[in-house]
Order: sequence, then structure tokens, then C-alpha cells
Amino acid sequence: MRNDFYDDDPRTTWQNQPMEASTMSLVLIRQKARELHAKTRRQRLGTLTVPLVVAFFYAFCIKQFPQLRQVLYLLFTFALAWSLAGLYFLNRGKWTGEMPGDTGFSTGLEFCRREIERRRDYVRRGLLWSFGPVLLAIGTFLVALAIVAGTGIWSKAMPFMTLVVIWIGAYFVIRVRQERELQRAVDELSDVERENSR
Amino acid sequence: MESISTVRASQDDFYKDAVEKYGSSLHRLASAYEADPDKRRDLSQDIHFQLWRSFQRYDARCSLRTWTYRVAHHVAASYVMRERRIFSTLVSLEELETIGDKDQGQLAAEQRLNVKRLSVLIQRLKPLDRQVIISWLEGMDAASIGEITGLSPGNVAVRVHRIKNILTLRFGQGGGYAE
Repeated sequence: MRNDFYDDDPRTTWQNQPMEASTMSLVLIRQKARELHAKTRRQRLGTLTVPLVVAFFYAFCIKQFPQLRQVLYLLFTFALAWSLAGLYFLNRGKWTGEMPGDTGFSTGLEFCRREIERRRDYVRRGLLWSFGPVLLAIGTFLVALAIVAGTGIWSKAMPFMTLVVIWIGAYFVIRVRQERELQRAVDELSDVERENSR
Repeated sequence: MESISTVRASQDDFYKDAVEKYGSSLHRLASAYEADPDKRRDLSQDIHFQLWRSFQRYDARCSLRTWTYRVAHHVAASYVMRERRIFSTLVSLEELETIGDKDQGQLAAEQRLNVKRLSVLIQRLKPLDRQVIISWLEGMDAASIGEITGLSPGNVAVRVHRIKNILTLRFGQGGGYAE
């Protein structure tokens, strides 16, 4: 963008700014529609990550600690069911969610509010439905390890444990901060709505 | 019942009409949301794509201009929320009016108004305030801005007043743009 001066009226300056040639055509738009379908399919496959992580821990633990099979079956079945339920609850909004192109009837205020609330709820649900089962799977693995190998394993596993704790802490703090940030944005929009009705 | 080809034809026609009338505005809108040229091109393409999609539902309940700007702003606002996950780095018009111009750095030394400084200023704003300032810069009146943003005329008037104050403070404008 060049730093061109036109005159002292910002609106004239704005409306007369240099333009780049538009590259969009209906052919390109239809191509973009096809790309979007492919991307959506990939994203849906990506949502299987958490159940897969839990299933991996499940298989690994059962193989490593056959003597704890009964307890592990119970805990991992619960974690797997939790993550599969999460797959539905976490992505329910995403699958049925509207795209900006579906929202021409909504004003900017309505759209922003809905979009921020959707993101806030996603972050909130992520802690419960995605973070929770993974945490349970890791915890179960560590407890099984301690039972089988004895408490002496804790000192050997300290570097790994430290990393896990740091990761859990950082993930939790970042998510909670994001949620608060989004809630603040929702509150600001509520204030605007109140001002509107005065 | 309309056939798919008829719907598609009117969808294409609405899109072509909107681009013919507001194509330049859409380009300026994208530049107000994204400074990086490559990302801006992607955003601009996304706006066009979503606009074309949106015309499947368009029933002329609002004007073509309102519809076009709403969809374009929604795409861009969604983009800002996706790109800048932390909202606290963006400010409202009210905050911008009270804080200094230190972030504008070297650009501030130029004193006069130009597109780049104006874009830098807009890109610091929260989505709803961006919609107001961009619509105002496009020459819209309070009623049209209200239709797009959902703000009451009084609320729009307050924000436009703030925009003028900010421009006066930052670019030393002498009210040559008063409505």
C-alpha cells in the first residue's frame, strides 16, 4: 500500500486509495467451494485425535500391565466413553455452526456476540471433553506404572512427570485465560446492547 | 418450486451485481482488516466466496448494499477472532481516544493523514468499532451504519463523534470532514 496523500478529508483519502487488481471469478469461487468441502472432511477426521490418544494409552497399558487388566479395563473404558461423548459434545456446535456467508440477516452486533459466545463455549467444553479424558488416561497409566514397578519409579520418571505437569498446567492456564478473555468480550457487547436500548 | 439452475443463476447474478457496485469497497474493507498482502488476498477471496454463498439465501428483505457489507464484515470479524485469539490487544474507539499515539512510531512523524496510518489505526480496533469506522469512511450515514452493525442511531452518532476526535488528535485534521 502506498502512502499517498489526497487531501485532508479522511473519507476521500480512504475511498481513493490505490487498488490491487481483483483475482476473483466465479470459476475460482466454485474451486474454493470444492476446497472447503475437502478441508471440512479433513477437520472432521482431525476430531478423532483425542479418542485415538486414549485408545493408544488403553492398548499400551493393557499390553504392558496384564496383571492390572481388570482395573485398567474399567478406567480406560470410562476414559474412552468420555472421549467419544466429547467427540459429539465438543463438535456438535462446529458441525451445525453457520458460516459467515449464512449470516446476512444478522447485524454485526448479533454476529460478533454469537461468534464470541461460540468460541467461549468451545474453549469451555474443550477442558471438560477433550482435556479431561486425556488427563484420566495419562493418570491411569502413571498409577499403573507405580503399582507394577513400585514407588521407586517416581524418581526415575521425574523428568517425564515434570514435563507432563508443566504441560497440564500451561494448557489449563491458557484455556482459562482464553475463556475469561472471551467472556469479557461478550460482556462488552452486552453493555453495547444495553446502551442501544436506552 | 425453483429449479437449482434458476437459484444458481440468481445467486450468480446477485454476486456479480454486488461486486460491480461494491467491489472496490470490499477490497478496501479487506485492507482495513489485514495488513499483510498475502493474507489480505486470502481474506479478500474468502469474503468473495462467502458473499457468493450468501446469495443463496438473499431475499431482498434488506438492500443489496447492507447485505454485502454485513456478510463481508462477518467474514472479516470471524477472521480477526481466528487470527488474534487474545482480544486484549485490540481496543475500542473509547480507549483509542484516550491513549497516546506511541504505537504509530515513525508514521506519526508524518503528521498528515494517509491510507497507511488510517489502516494501522483501524487494525487496532475491535471488530464492531472497525465496522463503524469503515462504514463511515465509505461515506455511509448513521442509519445505514446502524443497519449493518445493529447499533442504534444514537450509539452510531457517539462512535462517529469519537472517530472524528481521534482523527483530529492524531492527524491534526481541522474538521474538514464534518458531516
